[in-house]
Amino acid sequence: MGRTSKVKLLSKAKPGLTGLIRSPIKWLIVNVVAWVIGVLWILPFVGLFMTSVRPFGEVAVYGWWSIHPFTFTLKNYYNALFNPMFSLAKGFINSLIIAVPSTIIPVILAALAAYAFARFSFPIKNYLFIMMLFLMAVPQQMTIIPIFFMLNNMHLLNTYLGLILVHSSWGIPWITFFLRNYFSLLPKELEEIARVDGASNREIFFRIVLPVSLPGIISAAVLQFAWVWNDFFFALMLIYDPNKMVITQMLPRLKGQYQVDWGLLSAGSILAMSVPILVYVLLNKYYITGFRGWAMKR
Amino acid sequence: MPEAAGIKVERLSRVFPPNVIALRSVNLEIKPGEFFVILGPSGSGKTTLLRIIAGLEVPTEGRVVIGGKVVVDAEEGIYVEPKDRDIGMVFQNWALYPHMTAYDNIAFPLRIKKLPKEEIDRRVRSVAEALGISELLDRKPTHMSGGQQQRVAVARALVKQPKVLLLDEPFSNLDARIRVSAREFVKELQRKLGITTILVTHDQADAFAVGDRVAVLRNGVIQQVGTPDELYDEPVNVFVANFIGDPPMNIVKVVSNHEVIKSLGLTDLVKGNEYVYVGIRPDEAVASSNSVDTHLSGEVVLIEHAGSRRYARVRTDVGLTLKVLADEGLVEGGRAYVRIKKMHLFSEGGSRITTLKL
Repeated sequence: MGRTSKVKLLSKAKPGLTGLIRSPIKWLIVNVVAWVIGVLWILPFVGLFMTSVRPFGEVAVYGWWSIHPFTFTLKNYYNALFNPMFSLAKGFINSLIIAVPSTIIPVILAALAAYAFARFSFPIKNYLFIMMLFLMAVPQQMTIIPIFFMLNNMHLLNTYLGLILVHSSWGIPWITFFLRNYFSLLPKELEEIARVDGASNREIFFRIVLPVSLPGIISAAVLQFAWVWNDFFFALMLIYDPNKMVITQMLPRLKGQYQVDWGLLSAGSILAMSVPILVYVLLNKYYITGFRGWAMKR
Repeated sequence: MPEAAGIKVERLSRVFPPNVIALRSVNLEIKPGEFFVILGPSGSGKTTLLRIIAGLEVPTEGRVVIGGKVVVDAEEGIYVEPKDRDIGMVFQNWALYPHMTAYDNIAFPLRIKKLPKEEIDRRVRSVAEALGISELLDRKPTHMSGGQQQRVAVARALVKQPKVLLLDEPFSNLDARIRVSAREFVKELQRKLGITTILVTHDQADAFAVGDRVAVLRNGVIQQVGTPDELYDEPVNVFVANFIGDPPMNIVKVVSNHEVIKSLGLTDLVKGNEYVYVGIRPDEAVASSNSVDTHLSGEVVLIEHAGSRRYARVRTDVGLTLKVLADEGLVEGGRAYVRIKKMHLFSEGGSRITTLKL
């Protein structure tokens, strides 16, 4: 799933929306729209889940929606995770090894850059920022060949570090953009009073700005993590050792050569998506406040 | 307690490019231990002035001296960081750190100074005690009322034991009832500590409640500096006269040979002016149905109640409509005779010619 579509979907689920709606017709429309979107979003997931917990023969004959007969089994999950040829468990771990640093590194660096863009003045600041925005529009496919050769020259091709660096640098611009806007919304007085009280710029940033911006930081981190976890393209181009492959690379290999085992594939898909979903569920509270922004909360 | 410091502001100007002049050659001398108020409508430059004193902004011209030390001088290129100015500050929205408890908020300036833990604890607790917020120390700002947040903000400003306390509209976010007690509290505290304090406000009631002296600022220019009584009794110009006092002064523009000038025998005083402004405070004139010893007569247009007082709007026979205190027995539409106790006369330029007691 692309980054933008995800943002839209999730923001639809903002709680407190009903508080803004007074007329009953509006309320009805909003509810209908929300339910339609909700069902559209959840239905494929239900299908996937039903397919994953039953023997494939049953699904193939009766369809995933039939509950009679229904044989519950976790065999698909077991087979997907511990497939002797393409172990999803290994891919799972590889994905974590890539995604965690690829989230932490760009969030920290981008937060520093974003604060500078939000609060300091320095020469060509605005030009730099605009250039960064323009370059964000460059598609991955356009950059992949130079990236490939660069990593090759650095002997980082087919390494975790190489992919981590690529993901980090790909994340820095948009997180900078996101957090700059977030920081600009913070009341300046917090920083000013800290200055009067003797805090240095570094102390103001780490002890005031960063903790106060936690919802924004977490929002950015959740998006970046999901983005890296879901990435297929960079991994496909830059990692080719089967032992280092990430989960999205492992997934298509479960398809088999002559016939597609949908049960196995469904179980694999659910395993793959479980992590970003879990991250979202756990950090849901911060994530939503992050998007609502501090300005509205006051 | 450190000894109180005086503050001198000399020829201070601030221009925001391209051409907004926030302050024009402001001069002030604030005595050690004084509670000084800068009063002005929004956009008068009062907050800019305070921020320059705090060091959060720099002047285009002029200098500021705190306790004998030049903290900023535009001509000499001197600038002392806010933290080295020995000041404590409270903002309008109090700017409490939302992620910290009251204790951590108050301790923050001391932790930045890297004082020993026991020392911090002792000082936080003693200032909290003095401000009556000891039982709030574990709470976060979102779990406090406006008045409590304000006390925490004041505690944070005072915990460093600064020589100067700067308050930027500290009462504006409080509702009317708490406001009164907050003023008393701040005033009392300031008296007790004897700390030089500058308060910025747009509200004359705030200014008069706490200020030893008040400076009235308008469009970046100081209009008048004086005690509340001086400002009330002898406003230097029409602006101050109009801005100070509640209900506001009746100010009427009349030609110099107007009936009212002649009948009160003021012709000599207004010589050289085509027009003058006559100013009469509603509380310094009384309308009654008795004509003995009165100056003007007219018809009662309206009677208003303001708390325990009643005011009558009287359309006088000489053509002025005045709001004045209403005596008992006055009715709307009836005759009224106005006795003026005190009257101000302003030139056509707006500056005060004289104040007459009648």
